[in-house]
Amino acid sequence: MNDGENSAPDSFEDYSIVASGLKKSFGKLRVLNDLSVKIPGGTTYCLLGPNGSGKTTLIRAVAGLLRLDGGDLRVLGEPVSNVRRVYPRIGYMTQHKALYPDLTLRENMEFYAGLYGIEGVRMSERISELLDMVDLAEHSDRITGDLSGGMYQRLSLACTLIHEPDLLLLDEPTVGIDPILREAFWRFFDDLAEKGATILITTHLMDEAERCKIVGYMRAGKMLAEGSPEELKRLAGLRPVLKLWVNDPEASASILSSRGFDVRRVEDVLQVTIEDHQQLKEVLDQVVPLDLRLIEPSIGDAFLRLAEDESR
Amino acid sequence: MMERSLDAKRVLVVARRVVRQLKRDKRTIGLITFAPIFLLILFGYALSGEMSGINLGIVDFGGQDALKVHLQSVDDFDLLYLGSESDAEKLIVEGRLHGAVVIRKEEVRILLDGSSPQITSSIMAESRAGLLSPESLREGGRGEVLDGGVGRGADDIEMGPEIVQRYVYGYDLEMMDSVGPAVLGLVVFFFTFITAAISFLRERTQGSLEKFMVSPLSRPEMVAGYLLGFSLFALLQSATTFLVVVFVFGVPMNGNPLTAFAVILLLGAGALVLGAFFSNFAKTEFQVVQFIPMVILPQVVLSGVWWPLQSIPAFIRPISYILPLTYSSDALRAVMLKGAGISDILVPDLLFLVGFFVIVFGAATLMLKREVG
Repeated sequence: MNDGENSAPDSFEDYSIVASGLKKSFGKLRVLNDLSVKIPGGTTYCLLGPNGSGKTTLIRAVAGLLRLDGGDLRVLGEPVSNVRRVYPRIGYMTQHKALYPDLTLRENMEFYAGLYGIEGVRMSERISELLDMVDLAEHSDRITGDLSGGMYQRLSLACTLIHEPDLLLLDEPTVGIDPILREAFWRFFDDLAEKGATILITTHLMDEAERCKIVGYMRAGKMLAEGSPEELKRLAGLRPVLKLWVNDPEASASILSSRGFDVRRVEDVLQVTIEDHQQLKEVLDQVVPLDLRLIEPSIGDAFLRLAEDESR
Repeated sequence: MMERSLDAKRVLVVARRVVRQLKRDKRTIGLITFAPIFLLILFGYALSGEMSGINLGIVDFGGQDALKVHLQSVDDFDLLYLGSESDAEKLIVEGRLHGAVVIRKEEVRILLDGSSPQITSSIMAESRAGLLSPESLREGGRGEVLDGGVGRGADDIEMGPEIVQRYVYGYDLEMMDSVGPAVLGLVVFFFTFITAAISFLRERTQGSLEKFMVSPLSRPEMVAGYLLGFSLFALLQSATTFLVVVFVFGVPMNGNPLTAFAVILLLGAGALVLGAFFSNFAKTEFQVVQFIPMVILPQVVLSGVWWPLQSIPAFIRPISYILPLTYSSDALRAVMLKGAGISDILVPDLLFLVGFFVIVFGAATLMLKREVG
């Protein structure tokens, strides 16, 4: 999409968040450094980056909690100066739990429901539904302060979702959650996105980033790279590697080299970089391995590579 | 950013949550209810212990040396020398003196607060004795004692002093009477301030405040919800304190109790927003506790709870006049002791308390915005 299209008023509708040239400094520290990003509606967008790269600052800016030094930011079609108008459509989960330890789980949820004007039958239904979702239904009348860390986190997410927000801002939502429940969370996020919600999430877990439709890699207040996990890996120059165990590595290596493949020999194992499945087939036409393994690059490898490129 | 008008429903949602939280905190409830009673009983007996001596004011315009010598010789009397009769009267009103003797060549006026018949008769008896002593008669003076109000002796045409006896207050005025109403305000202020400061600090540290910022709840709605929720507890607290003050210590309740409650609620509202305001300067609950010497103690010392404002040195007194407790104490005393109505305490007491609340409410709400970096 080019700039001309973006300036047309109706094009904003496709984007939940449109940021261009955001600047913010705390003292001499530049936390947002001319950052631009467009986040389409109905997607899961992951902000990935090392500590201090500006992920949380960007989320806070989108939530209207930050006075920007410069740049243009629109959230759900509203300029950020008017973001209050769309607060009823935003769910914001900070790294703090924002729960009252002396209330029961249900009372915490009733409180947040009340803030969004949800009451009566609709409230009880919504609460049961969410408590089921985060697997806390049986604890609903326990005092929140007695919960474990992971349970806290789950309740916090349930409270954030109480008003079925169109835009979810989740700052490290899966910290302290076991892998099984984390998987359930992600299925739920995918489900929400499918129904049209936009989910902006920060994480430093690479495997989580891999689950998002779009990943934005931030560093020093800038968007370094952006795209689907696959696109990013390609951008970083990473390809799948086929590991081959063969009878005669020497001979096989020269055959593949002569066919133009990038082959490396590590002891008796051949490592062949391939572009796609077609190439995979071609390799296997040339040599008959005793054993083989296809290693997909991880998004972590991609970011390590991108970070190296940047620092060079 | 424009703040929208208050939404009553959201205010109620916050209030309900605050009540639920406090309700579950049994220890705080116990403290709120029983600490004032404990304090009052403690103060009550401590102060009545202080009254073993009779505090007698002397206003000396000359003459009656024998009387003076005699009064000085009475062990039970603690004498305080004053410059004018109105000073003496003021101190009697404040409950600091049991009576005063105003000495002139031609007249001896005895001011009494009438708190206790024993004290009254003791002061009267010793004054008579002083005037009728041989030394006194040798001076040529002769006193005529007239009981039961202002009057003149039938045979005082002769030279010599006349004794005039006057009751300054028509009813029992013990220290507790004047301290009780003030303590009532003090306990409500203290507990509301501390509880509010800690509650708002927790909103900040647990992240709920930031979450509210990104919700339809506005800052004034949040503070108003707290006000509503805390009011219930301030009422509970003042009700128990009232009962003790009135029924255990026999402090009169001459005015409308509802007027007194209104004063207390207004003071409590001021304490709540002050707590909310100060919570911005604390990072931990430990630091909140450190506000007590800064915020609470000056009020205890300077608001005229224990001793009259008049006895506070003039250069410190301006501080007294900006403390809400000064005005609540004054208003509560007026309502309880003198039966004052709303209109009697409107200026300056209620006006100040309202003004204090409005200004601090504004400041507290502004400070909450500090979250926006």
